[in-house]
Amino acid sequence: MNALARHRRLQAIWSSRGGFRGLFSTVNHSDVGLMFLVTAFFYFFVAGVLAMLIRAQLATPHSAFAGPEIYNQIFTMHGTLMMFLFAIPAIEGMAIYLLPKMLGTRDLAYPRLGAYGYWCYFFGGAMLLVSLLLGIAPDGGWFMYPPLTGKVYSPGINTDFWLLGITFVEISAISAAVEFTVSILRYRAPGMSLSKMPIFAWYMLVTSLMILTGFPPLILGSILLELERTFGLPFFQVELGGDSLLWQHLFWLFGHPEVYIIFLPAAGMVSTILPVMASTTLLGYRYVVAAAVALAILSFGLWVHHMFTTGIPHMGLAFFSAASTLVAVPTAVQVFAWIGTLWQGRPQLRLPMLHILGFFATFVIGGLTGVMVAVVPFDWQVHDTAFVTAHLHYVLFGGFVFPLLAALYYWLPLVTGRARFFRLGEVAFALIFIGFHVTFLAMHFAGLMGQRRRISTYSPEDGWTAINLISSIGGFILAFGLVMVLIEVALHFLVRHRAPRNLWRAGTLEWASAMLPPAYNFASLPQVGDREPLRADPELPARLARGEGYLGAPDGMIRESLAVDIATGAPEHHVVYPGNTHLPIVLAAVTGLFFLALLLKILWVAPLAMIGVAVLGWRWVWVLGRREDLGAVPVGRGLSLPTIAEVDRPPGWWGSVFLLVADATLFGSLLFGYAFLWTIAPGWPPPAWIEPSVMVMALAGIGVALSIIGPFFATRANAGGNSPIAGLALSLAGSVAIAAALVAMLAMAPSATGHAYGATLLVLGGYGILHAIILALMAAFLIARVRAGYTSPRRRAELAILPIWGAYCGGASVVILLAAYLPVALT
Amino acid sequence: MIDLLRILVAPVAWLAAFSAVYGLQAVLCAAPPDGTVVGLPMSRVLLALAFAAALLLQVALLVLLLSRRFGATSGFVRTVSIGGGLVGVVATVWTLFPVLALPLCQ
Repeated sequence: MNALARHRRLQAIWSSRGGFRGLFSTVNHSDVGLMFLVTAFFYFFVAGVLAMLIRAQLATPHSAFAGPEIYNQIFTMHGTLMMFLFAIPAIEGMAIYLLPKMLGTRDLAYPRLGAYGYWCYFFGGAMLLVSLLLGIAPDGGWFMYPPLTGKVYSPGINTDFWLLGITFVEISAISAAVEFTVSILRYRAPGMSLSKMPIFAWYMLVTSLMILTGFPPLILGSILLELERTFGLPFFQVELGGDSLLWQHLFWLFGHPEVYIIFLPAAGMVSTILPVMASTTLLGYRYVVAAAVALAILSFGLWVHHMFTTGIPHMGLAFFSAASTLVAVPTAVQVFAWIGTLWQGRPQLRLPMLHILGFFATFVIGGLTGVMVAVVPFDWQVHDTAFVTAHLHYVLFGGFVFPLLAALYYWLPLVTGRARFFRLGEVAFALIFIGFHVTFLAMHFAGLMGQRRRISTYSPEDGWTAINLISSIGGFILAFGLVMVLIEVALHFLVRHRAPRNLWRAGTLEWASAMLPPAYNFASLPQVGDREPLRADPELPARLARGEGYLGAPDGMIRESLAVDIATGAPEHHVVYPGNTHLPIVLAAVTGLFFLALLLKILWVAPLAMIGVAVLGWRWVWVLGRREDLGAVPVGRGLSLPTIAEVDRPPGWWGSVFLLVADATLFGSLLFGYAFLWTIAPGWPPPAWIEPSVMVMALAGIGVALSIIGPFFATRANAGGNSPIAGLALSLAGSVAIAAALVAMLAMAPSATGHAYGATLLVLGGYGILHAIILALMAAFLIARVRAGYTSPRRRAELAILPIWGAYCGGASVVILLAAYLPVALT
Repeated sequence: MIDLLRILVAPVAWLAAFSAVYGLQAVLCAAPPDGTVVGLPMSRVLLALAFAAALLLQVALLVLLLSRRFGATSGFVRTVSIGGGLVGVVATVWTLFPVLALPLCQ
């Protein structure tokens, strides 16, 4: 097969359906990544327009531009859109598009999950956008503090749009994080060991683990606040045993790592682009990786520094003040590595480099003001002032937008196959840089002079008039610069000016594919022996096109790739991907129906939507797999590998592990909330405790034992050539027993609306019952699969997933019962 | 997967210890225990012991990561994991030393 015939065959296998309709069924990572990016930049534009409205309002004292009700919606939606609908999805889009190309593979681990995440983002974002157009947008600030956002002070639907819309959108973040983690660990080019991974992949691995552990507290907080607003469960009402400070803890447990979740991928882009701009390699690769890991984990110990003025004891303040100063160290390690890289190379002042220099100047200032607000007495002075607004914009615009613009100009030729023709970018950069610093440097001084954040107006006597006018002028200069970027990108698509292949002379694998990259990325997969394979072997692209790598002889119409060993990158399994399908968009629409039902208070629709999700989920998994054993299949270069159906740890196992990490974090956050209310909230102890029941404990004990033993028996029986159905039936019985025990526990619990204690028990029990239902569905599904002939002693992969879910469900049930009954025993 | 655990274990252990000591301080302020040890309030002694245990754990992890038996064989993973171990020790000392000096519940 010659290169052209190979290209045509692979293109036919991997392409999405033609035309506009193809977008609704595509699961290809390049399509999904670009869809994420286009949508994210649309929200950047909308949020930018809102920012201009804010600056128009504050440009003069006693402004009559917008009344406080509308102004509250404008600043809330500005922050919400920027954080949740622009920054995170833009990262997801960049990573979905780039990672498989950089890692030398053909797609991410779960193509349909990526598409499902996009449609959740699309529908969830649309909900928020509709609220803005109708004038009923969220208006409680982007961190939505109760009691302001409770039913008493925010009786309208505005807050519900935020709580439900953002939770819906976060599904896409969690699904992307699972997908990235498994893809980076398992779906790389053969030979690409951990030490040879592109630095961007390391940053995305760290970021993905952060999303899995950082987002669940916010999702939990949103669920609790929505439960309070819809059903009257008083988690945040002090008079009924709740505490509004619980929201602040849950929000900032997410909110502070969120800053680093946004910064770290941007740092990964800088670490990728900067050495290329300096014609060298990254200095101190391993120390940069260590610094990124340290920064990620340290960032989880800072959340209380947003709460320094809430009356926390001095010792608590000192813990978080110390941790807040400590994160400057790994950040500085990265900055010095970048400076050293420039020093050892020959930097060229091309457009991506200009934006990287903009990033340096801006982010370092933001970091230094960050250390200032980490010092408690200073924070007390500037808390909730424009100084903090200025600081966060220096960090987020400096630490994210400048690198993103550098990345845009760096990778745009790869996406379009074209080079820039007009030279608007340099002027745009100058306007952006000057406009940004005029806007936000001035804002620091307004804050130091006492201007509170989020005020809709001020009087001339306050003395902030000139400074706000300067800030507003700067804001509009910044906006002009960003519009010029938009125009240049549009011209880029309109003007055919072909870019040479690998125009930056980069060493990473994304430049080894054609420009524009075909749907399959690589005609054959490379064997990697260097961190910069293109630098080590400039002939690699031609050899891959000739089919000299792995999987260079496509057989049939299947989408194939390889999975590798985590540490060494040695090839381990042959992977077959699903093709184009409407399942992701349909599943996202039905998921959206659930959120819409809650939003519009048509509550009877919500369980129907959940049943729809379960049915579609069943269908999602059912279409995979085979009814016959294949054994080892040839993958090229004289190597044969088992298929993913015939291994002990298939992609579903890895995905389950990391999904359960997020799940366990949500559960841990719930237990934290329970402990917080119990020890800190006024109004405790509750009027009545639940009475421990021997019957409940016995039933739960049986259920836990069966849910753990059943899957074990099933896998063992299957391995021995016997039917696993008895073991699966035991799992099913175990899940039913767990659900029954928890229902019985809840029947004996105090009223959920009378005190936060009863409300917490209800959520704990509901969490356990939900997991028992999931376990039951999985066991029932596997029984059906066994009966349909999808398993055999060799095809054991599907059965391997059940034990971890059984163990998790059993373990969580034990913890729930302990949490319910232990306080009674202690008191 | 083991290499990934080697890289993450020490900083994650710091995070767990840091959160636990913060939680312990909250519990001790909500329900202060009676008694003193060598003239020091029981709450202070318990927090100091927690600090010492956290530090001991970090030192033990660093020793393990440095050892031939438990440390990584890959030079890259070894450097990154030992770096993580050092971060764990420094972070524990830097963030938890206030338990020795500052007022408990004011």
